[in-house]
Amino acid sequence: MKTILFNPFKKYQENTLLGIGVAATIIGSLLAYAFYIRFNGAFDLHFAPDINLWQPFIDNSINIAIVFLVLFFLAKYHNQKTRAIDILNAVLIARIPFYLVALMNINNTISRAIEQMMSVVDNTIQINMTAIPIDAIIILSIFGLITFLAFIWFIVLLYNGYKIASNAKGGKTMLFFALALILAEIITKAIIIIVPY
Amino acid sequence: MSRLPIKCPSCEQHLNVSQLSCLKCDTIISGSYPLPKLMQLPQDDQDFILQFVLHSGSLKKMALQMEISYPTMRNKLDDIIEKLLHN
Repeated sequence: MKTILFNPFKKYQENTLLGIGVAATIIGSLLAYAFYIRFNGAFDLHFAPDINLWQPFIDNSINIAIVFLVLFFLAKYHNQKTRAIDILNAVLIARIPFYLVALMNINNTISRAIEQMMSVVDNTIQINMTAIPIDAIIILSIFGLITFLAFIWFIVLLYNGYKIASNAKGGKTMLFFALALILAEIITKAIIIIVPY
Repeated sequence: MSRLPIKCPSCEQHLNVSQLSCLKCDTIISGSYPLPKLMQLPQDDQDFILQFVLHSGSLKKMALQMEISYPTMRNKLDDIIEKLLHN
């Protein structure tokens, strides 16, 4: 079970992983459209009141392409034998936790809690905490915790997939991996902000 | 079955074979023979090489049969090559 959740790349063949990854990306994009989520960054997730069907698909395509390219070049630099399919599978599968987080906005639960919170916080220097509905605080706290756990899960999956694809070892691996992810985040954010769609 | 020790438990150096005996006639040969490179590898690495040869050198076939992904298999082989080069 631990292997399936955190390191499926160790056990499953590339075609199985690719099939699951592509299916998850399509379902995840549809979920994002249904629950008003934008993936506007390599590891970003925001609520958007106005959303088109194609926007989550383009968001995911940009995020997957950029993270793939950055990690693939890093992996190739480390190990010439690295295959593109293994890095692509790692990127596709690692995004599944983000798609699960999108499910939390069923009936706009999170969006409404954020609106309730913002209506109290907006244009106010001194925030009256008692004016914030307690259920909004509870919902947002649970959402924050689950999002944080999903982010950790994403990183663990991506790192394990990257390590198996490149056979990278040693202390510097994690540092270069982290730097690559920061670079991917900057590039994806810039593309999504600059290119109108 | 007891495993062939490949490293000295005291100083971690590679061991040499100092005695060989014939089980049929009890002839004993003494000397100092280094272990072949493959035999200096840990047992699981030797088992991997044996399986690799039995699968005609196909990591893909091995991966499918052992239900382990191809890159995991290839990494194991790369690690063994690395050990052989530095032994």
